[in-house]
Amino acid sequence: MGLSVQNITKRFRDVTAVKDLSFEVDRGRILGFLGPNGAGKTTTMRMILGIIKPDAGEVTWEGMPFLHWGRSFFGYLPEERGLYPKMRLDEHLVFLARINGVPARDARQRAAQWIDRFGLGQYSHKRIEELSKGNQQKVQVIGALIHEPELLILDEPFSGLDPVNTAMLKDVLLEQNKAGRTIIFSSHRMDQVEELCEDIVLIHKGQLVLAGNLRRIKSAMGRQILRVALEGDRDFWRRIPGLILLGERPDYFEFRLSAGVSPNVVLEAAMEAGQVIRFELAEPSLDQIFIERVGAGA
Amino acid sequence: MVPVIVKRDFTSRVRSTPYIVTTIIGVLVFVGLGFAPAVMQYFSAAFGDDSLKLLVVDYSGEFAPALLEAAAENGGQGVQLETIPPGQESAAYQRVLDEGLSGLLLVEPPEFAFLTPDAADMARNSRVQRLVNQGLVRLNARQLGLSQDELARLFASADLKVRQIGADSSEVSEEDFTASAVLAYLMLFMIYMSLLLYGNMVASGVAEEKSSRIMEVMIAKVKPTELMAGKILGIGALALLQFAIWVGAALGTGAVRRAGWFGPALDWEIPLGRIEPALLAWFVVFFVLGFFFYASIFAAGGAVVSRVEEVNQVVTVVTMVIVVGFLAAFMSFTNPNGRLAVITSLLPFTSPMVMFARLALGNPPAVQTALSVLLLLAANIAGAWFSGRVYRIGVLLYGKRPTMREIVRYMRG
Repeated sequence: MGLSVQNITKRFRDVTAVKDLSFEVDRGRILGFLGPNGAGKTTTMRMILGIIKPDAGEVTWEGMPFLHWGRSFFGYLPEERGLYPKMRLDEHLVFLARINGVPARDARQRAAQWIDRFGLGQYSHKRIEELSKGNQQKVQVIGALIHEPELLILDEPFSGLDPVNTAMLKDVLLEQNKAGRTIIFSSHRMDQVEELCEDIVLIHKGQLVLAGNLRRIKSAMGRQILRVALEGDRDFWRRIPGLILLGERPDYFEFRLSAGVSPNVVLEAAMEAGQVIRFELAEPSLDQIFIERVGAGA
Repeated sequence: MVPVIVKRDFTSRVRSTPYIVTTIIGVLVFVGLGFAPAVMQYFSAAFGDDSLKLLVVDYSGEFAPALLEAAAENGGQGVQLETIPPGQESAAYQRVLDEGLSGLLLVEPPEFAFLTPDAADMARNSRVQRLVNQGLVRLNARQLGLSQDELARLFASADLKVRQIGADSSEVSEEDFTASAVLAYLMLFMIYMSLLLYGNMVASGVAEEKSSRIMEVMIAKVKPTELMAGKILGIGALALLQFAIWVGAALGTGAVRRAGWFGPALDWEIPLGRIEPALLAWFVVFFVLGFFFYASIFAAGGAVVSRVEEVNQVVTVVTMVIVVGFLAAFMSFTNPNGRLAVITSLLPFTSPMVMFARLALGNPPAVQTALSVLLLLAANIAGAWFSGRVYRIGVLLYGKRPTMREIVRYMRG
């Protein structure tokens, strides 16, 4: 059953940040929580965590109100700067573990382990404000999972991380997931979402646009993406109604087929125009789904 | 959870440079207050030439003997007088300059002139003034035919004994009273400064948490009231630790002074060693209650701003109320049982300072003391409730500062 968000709504003054939003996250899954800037992702996460109260609707875990599960049951990583700047790194991690009910001795032990794992050893006595943004982000990530929560809610966990650390964080998240933990994370980077998530939720202007298994969503969209490379008349596609140019790359074109347009028609036209080098029918990438579903209004 | 938060707020500040510096400065002030009189005495004895060497030209012929008598009666005390016959003024004038004497006194009652190379030395001028006055009194008494005995009776001073009546009757000497007034003033000032300083620390601490998103993590994990209580207790402990160090320094200095090191105690010295335990207890009671009351208001203030820079604007009002309380307490010193003192010692906004001042100096009725403490306790509870709600709403509102009306609306919701 996992997490169930049921018809939550939140208004700030005259702006409706989240409107009648419902979705579910199965236990032990990784969910990518997507949406353009200002879609209401952070507000939704805050409502799940009880930081702000929804005007309507409720959030449950295993059928029970979310907040009955206690503070150590979830880990939360806010968007950025969720640390005390004047505190020492090691003390900060111990503090975050203690806040979540980890006994002092365990807290120190775990902090040391994670500091080691993330290569922060040389900074462990430094104050947070003296660390680079990337290292601060690592501290925040550790802070969210140091008490081994059942559910991880991470708001933009990859922001500020270089490729090496991004890869490491991905490993950590997959490892946490393997240990049975449920993870919800938001991101703007669709490639990261595609790599990690089985399920996605896409919201726009506070409303649900798309939810479900990523693979099924993709196949349901149909093989509408067409990549064509040819030597010859590069304007051939203009004569075909219902064929939309998505991008003209140096070595190939990318099109979207409107409903009812057969790929065969395109292939014939291409063959007439010149030598066809590549003709590929593909599922849309998450990027394309994202842009298609929210792009017009964003 | 509160202890973990208290510990964090305490340890992260106790190591900070400003805290260490103010603590050390406080210790230096108390040690300095203890030793300064002795030190000053030492320096003035070493450098200040306080002997008075005067040449006197007496045109009347009657004043000089009276003046000599007056000087002799004061035990001489470094006064050297030399009478110069009239007519040799210019030679005397020259001697004052050449020999570095204190000055030349020209006398023809009721005219007196003091010619001195250093007319700006006010202390010396007033010594000469006193001496001349005494001489004049003697001269006049002699001319009126008063005997030495009659003279003594004329100037006998009344020995007024002040006695406290009622519950706590005891004789208070004026010296004791001055000493305890100075001490009480010092302690009052400490309450005042700490309410301001540590209250502001609470406000800016909350604003700091809010401006960094740590507040989101905390509020998801800890109840806002726990978070607020933890911060107030942590910072309150910080203040109490500082007091303990200062009081320790004061008592230590007092003990050292009484042991007679660095010369005998002087009569105008602040008796640091003589802090009464009861007064110290009242100090703790009123500081703690006053601090919690104001700190919760400061916390709410910190919670409604969204940047640390804005804190000042919001807390100014609270600061002003504290200043008013301090002034009221200060005025109560002169009349600890006056109407102003009684009223302001009951109002929770001013009572931490005024009631303490009254307890330090006067003997307020036990009913008033109890009522003051009870009202302050009630105010603490009301303040915690109010601030807890404002805090809970304020900490997660970013951007525009909420108006009073919005706060009220959110509190209902």
